[in-house]
Amino acid sequence: MPQLIKVARPTKIELIKLRRRLALATRIQKIVKDRVSILILEFLQIARQTVEAKSKLLDDFSHTYKALSIAAGYHGYIALEKELIAAERDLGIAAGLRNVGGVRIPAFELREAQRVVRGYNLVDTSSWLDQTAQLSEKCLETIVELAELQRSLEQLGREINRTKRILNALEYLIIPGLQATIKYLYMKFEERDREEKSRLKRVKVLLERK
Amino acid sequence: MVSELPYERLLQESLKSELKVVNAHLPSRQKSLADLLGEEYPHVLCNDGSTHLFRRKELDYLASLIETEEQKALLLPMLIEVNAGRGEMAVICPGEVEGKVISKVLDMPVTPRQKKIVIYKPQLAVIRKLLKTTTQYLFPPKL
Repeated sequence: MPQLIKVARPTKIELIKLRRRLALATRIQKIVKDRVSILILEFLQIARQTVEAKSKLLDDFSHTYKALSIAAGYHGYIALEKELIAAERDLGIAAGLRNVGGVRIPAFELREAQRVVRGYNLVDTSSWLDQTAQLSEKCLETIVELAELQRSLEQLGREINRTKRILNALEYLIIPGLQATIKYLYMKFEERDREEKSRLKRVKVLLERK
Repeated sequence: MVSELPYERLLQESLKSELKVVNAHLPSRQKSLADLLGEEYPHVLCNDGSTHLFRRKELDYLASLIETEEQKALLLPMLIEVNAGRGEMAVICPGEVEGKVISKVLDMPVTPRQKKIVIYKPQLAVIRKLLKTTTQYLFPPKL
């Protein structure tokens, strides 16, 4: 049963105030409901993308390890390590925020992931190493993408929970409470009218007796 | 029968702030695609002081959809108006370029009415999948 909201006095002014509050609450409920549905839509889309990115990353890793083991077998570990040390470089990631229905989620973008010159000697190395490097760069891109997706998923999930609580409070507490209080006030007014009528009747009878 | 709800006022306040939150991310000024393509880190400033970063891949994709001279007319981020309680959305299109872009993204003809293109949830999912950073939601404050 909805709980009634405490009103100072059951007057028409209070009734008008309550009706205004009910209209506001109903409109806000619609907006919050739409927001939740949009957040859920985004959440599901990101969840789907996360699954795709994860399976892609696993595939990329397995291809990279295969290529790396072939390159290691071809060059030998020591020679390969020497070339890889020379190929070390810093990675540039453009990080920022984007906003989805009031939720700030991170946006990462790997800069210059694919490079033509990778730092190792192209004369002494085979195409296996080139393939390994190319696949590793692909893995890096997917890792950055996955990081963004997973963080977004967490943020959106948290916001959906929070917004749903607000929506539930509106749907099951505030709006029913306001409606019940308005109904209660109407009942009070009707009762007052009936009392007034019976009082008038009583007065009329008393006057007639005199 | 009348009971006191101590957190009723609190909820009212949180609802007011909720409305502020949903539209806080809107850009203070939209930028044209041509301008954004020239920036190293393409972004716009939002009303809440934060920055909204655009993905370069999306900008390149948009550039591939329209002619070079139309790039100046396409203002980003495109705004998607969410109509409360009606289950339909509208892409705000002040010019013809937006209509062309949406038509190509959805792979169907669209007709802007009163500078708006009405779309539904399945179409919204397609648009948001392809244009994640170049579109933003707008909750009209018709309260």
